Amino acid sequence: MTVSAGALAADEAGAVSQRSRSINRRILGAAWSTVAFKLGFFVFVTLLLASLTTPLLSPISATRMKVHDRFLAPLFLGPKWEWVHPLGTDQLGRDMLMRCLVGLQYSLMIGVVTVLLIFILGCGLGLFAGFKGKWWDLAIMRITDAQLSIPMIILAITILGVSRPSVPNIIIVLALSGWPLYARIARSAAVTERDKEYVRGLRVLGASDWRILVLFVAPNILPPIAFVAVLDVARMMIFEAVLGFLGLGVQPPTPSFGSIIADSRKYLINAWWIATSPGLFLALALTSINLMGASLEKARNRIFGGL
Amino acid sequence: MLILEFLVKRIAQGVLILFITSLIIFTLLRVVPGDPVRLIVGGMAPDNVVEEVATKMGLRDPIIVQYGRYVGKLVQGDMGQSYLRPRNGMVATGGQYIDPTKSNMAPVADLILERLPYTLQLGGLALLFALAMAIPIGIAGGLHPDGWQNTLAFGVQSLFVSLPNFWLAIILILFVSVKLHLLPALGYKGFSYTILPALVLAVEITPFIVRTLTTSLGEVMQANFIDEARVRGLPRRRIVYAHALRNAATPLINLLGIQLSTLIGGVLVIEYIFDYPGLGDLTVVSVIGRDFPVIEGIAITTSAVFVFINIIVDLVAYLIDPRVEL
Repeated sequence: MTVSAGALAADEAGAVSQRSRSINRRILGAAWSTVAFKLGFFVFVTLLLASLTTPLLSPISATRMKVHDRFLAPLFLGPKWEWVHPLGTDQLGRDMLMRCLVGLQYSLMIGVVTVLLIFILGCGLGLFAGFKGKWWDLAIMRITDAQLSIPMIILAITILGVSRPSVPNIIIVLALSGWPLYARIARSAAVTERDKEYVRGLRVLGASDWRILVLFVAPNILPPIAFVAVLDVARMMIFEAVLGFLGLGVQPPTPSFGSIIADSRKYLINAWWIATSPGLFLALALTSINLMGASLEKARNRIFGGL
Repeated sequence: MLILEFLVKRIAQGVLILFITSLIIFTLLRVVPGDPVRLIVGGMAPDNVVEEVATKMGLRDPIIVQYGRYVGKLVQGDMGQSYLRPRNGMVATGGQYIDPTKSNMAPVADLILERLPYTLQLGGLALLFALAMAIPIGIAGGLHPDGWQNTLAFGVQSLFVSLPNFWLAIILILFVSVKLHLLPALGYKGFSYTILPALVLAVEITPFIVRTLTTSLGEVMQANFIDEARVRGLPRRRIVYAHALRNAATPLINLLGIQLSTLIGGVLVIEYIFDYPGLGDLTVVSVIGRDFPVIEGIAITTSAVFVFINIIVDLVAYLIDPRVEL
């Protein structure tokens, strides 16, 4: 009797995850059918390919200085411009297009890795807290509250200001500031899932907490959160740029959006393009990601009927 | 009675959060490399002087002892004294040696209280601008889910959230301030210096408000009681303003509580760019100078503000919508 009840419950859990997989497909489909998502997707893929291939293939370097060619304006936009440097050159004669593309590479890499890390850490802790309940829940959630109450920027400049800002350090700092929100969302989802039939059935079957959590609860809860995590890639890219702007990001000579813009402030009046083009590049990349993320979120809300 | 119980519970939790926060920041500052004493006595001072001063300041005790001493003073409202800023307002730099064990250094509480009003003024004005922009767009978007209004809301949201705040700040300084001479930008000599930074901050907050308002209003408009209100013959204006908005406001108020730390983070960066004399500027300078007591004080102040506002937010959400559990 117990066995058959357990088997039924396991079947039900399977059915739930099956259904949720098709729900996820439906969300993707619904998002894909919007103009905004397609637009964002194509712009994003174009930028991604450009930033990954051009610096490898092109003979122009992002860091080599040619003082003779400094302050060249973008095409057709100033007294002095050259076809070789479509976006002009900076105060040391470095090609702006190449610097922007390399900056984009780092920005995307840091953004994506950070969000993956946040997702795993935040959702892991949140699921665990919500599922276990009792004082595990209390302890983890109070730490989350404390972490949430320290503004990310204070934490970041405190850590990066006194230790060396290397790429892994930057990712850790950004991840540290981002996980609490995910922990909160995952926890509240896990709390509602905890008492569902299939979980009780699996318990009866003798499945361990970890087994239930990883194999059955997580696949039901996480995909809807993952869709919205796309938006956070953009948020993390902005934070990375802010850190770079404060001199705490990827260190020179490697170009990063933040540091290029910070350096360009001195030449703002005479060479406006040095500050403008990395900003436009960043804004374009972020808009494409946000269009995708917002479309996914909208599709998710529509299909879940307002979650 | 319920409210009183809620307040007591939340304030107790808030105090606990403040302790965790202060412990995190305190430990972090002492674990990461960078010795404040080296900066205080100057690079040329011999090592034994560094050790002597550090011991006198209590910086060589175990972290837990230092923390205990700090908290002991903190509960009496004493946040300690700055390592770098004397009372007269000058900042000690380079090799200029000021003995931090003497009592002529500025108390951290004074430094923060001096800057806090400026930051609150900036944050408040930014929130006002953001609400002024977001509420019309968000309401229109929520009322017409298939119309151009919703597309507008979606576009504004995607575009605004993609503008890096520091970049927007620089561009605005270049055009509004330098080229057109419309508003002053750098420093602070009067209220008009708050407007441009507040605008930049508002652009940062607006998308979140638009998104929440559009979604929640869209949901509320499909609820049964809205249909019933139509059947009862209430005018549309009254349905929207008296019935729908009141229900759509709860998620918005909750959002403001959660997004607050983003707002505070944004304020710090914007202040740094505009050279605005608020807490942000103080934070950056203190971190560079390893001014431990000031950094700790700022972290505790901001998280106290955060905790306080979140309590208010939950209380307001309850007063608006009694179904919300306290």
